[in-house]
Amino acid sequence: MASTRRPLPPPEVESRLRARFGDDVLGFEDQHGHAVATIGPERYREIVEFLRDDPDLACDYCDFATGVDHGPEGGFEVVTHLFSTTHHHNVRLKVRLPHEEPVCPTISDLFAGANWHERETAEMFGITFEGHPQPVKLLLSEPFEGQPLRKDFPLMTREAKPWPGAAEGEEEEEE
Amino acid sequence: MGLITEKIPLGDIQPVKFILNWGRKYSLWVFNFGLACCAIEFIAASTSKHDFIRFGVIPFAHGPRQADLMVVSGTLTDKMAPAVKRLYDQMPDPKYVISFGSCANCGGPYWDSYAVTKGVDQVIPVDVYVPGCPPRPEALLHGIVRLQEKIAHESIREKWSGKHTTPAATS
Repeated sequence: MASTRRPLPPPEVESRLRARFGDDVLGFEDQHGHAVATIGPERYREIVEFLRDDPDLACDYCDFATGVDHGPEGGFEVVTHLFSTTHHHNVRLKVRLPHEEPVCPTISDLFAGANWHERETAEMFGITFEGHPQPVKLLLSEPFEGQPLRKDFPLMTREAKPWPGAAEGEEEEEE
Repeated sequence: MGLITEKIPLGDIQPVKFILNWGRKYSLWVFNFGLACCAIEFIAASTSKHDFIRFGVIPFAHGPRQADLMVVSGTLTDKMAPAVKRLYDQMPDPKYVISFGSCANCGGPYWDSYAVTKGVDQVIPVDVYVPGCPPRPEALLHGIVRLQEKIAHESIREKWSGKHTTPAATS
């Protein structure tokens, strides 16, 4: 109902998260009105649960979960986007993971809709979701090897033939 | 098809061959394997403006088991490839395949993708290739006419001997 809709501005979300989780919130940003918190995998589930159950936050809808590859130094990020259908505000969580053996706890028991998003993230980036009820491939064919959305994944066709679309005089992309 | 055997090559007698092929080429029940945006062009070709029913191509086959022609229109992914093969195998002989659009021909703009099959001809034999991204409905009509020319000159014995005939391409 419109009368009970109270979108929390990102600084408010930050103060609530900081009050509850302190230094476990590694960083906070306001991106185009969306609250974006960078966190570690240890208290990821707790934070999601808090965002879902706190009456002022009430993020009851998991929009998507995906991954980002920042290279060998930057590691991986699992990005989870939550939305509140009561208050109409967006909260995004970025879970920092190491590049070697990235393991992230699952939230598919908190949000059933995260199940397939986590399966996709797992097959595309090689991130293990601990406690996932069905850790198998979602979109790729069964015999597929490798993690295609990782930056170091080689496109075999391009190994054989360089991309012909570069404009005249344009420098080739460094591999 | 007990009549047309190696012993009695009835299909090779010219008038019979002509009538048989004439009948077959104007009764192509088509099975649309619509995988991407090219399927929209296929639908446009089947509706009233272009209307390929006037060529005897009937787009209402209830499934592959009732179809003579399969039009693969769109991007074939490695995950979908077994389904295309399986449905092609379910079609009764003699059967024909039109590869419609760049993606079905060779992968098209997704030529370097990790997930796209580089051409439907890697999975099933193709009779006519229609180039374009996407091809206009007229291009499909051209492809159908080319296929009908091919059927008209076909020897039934050769078709059923299992030898794959050379594919054609429009323009």
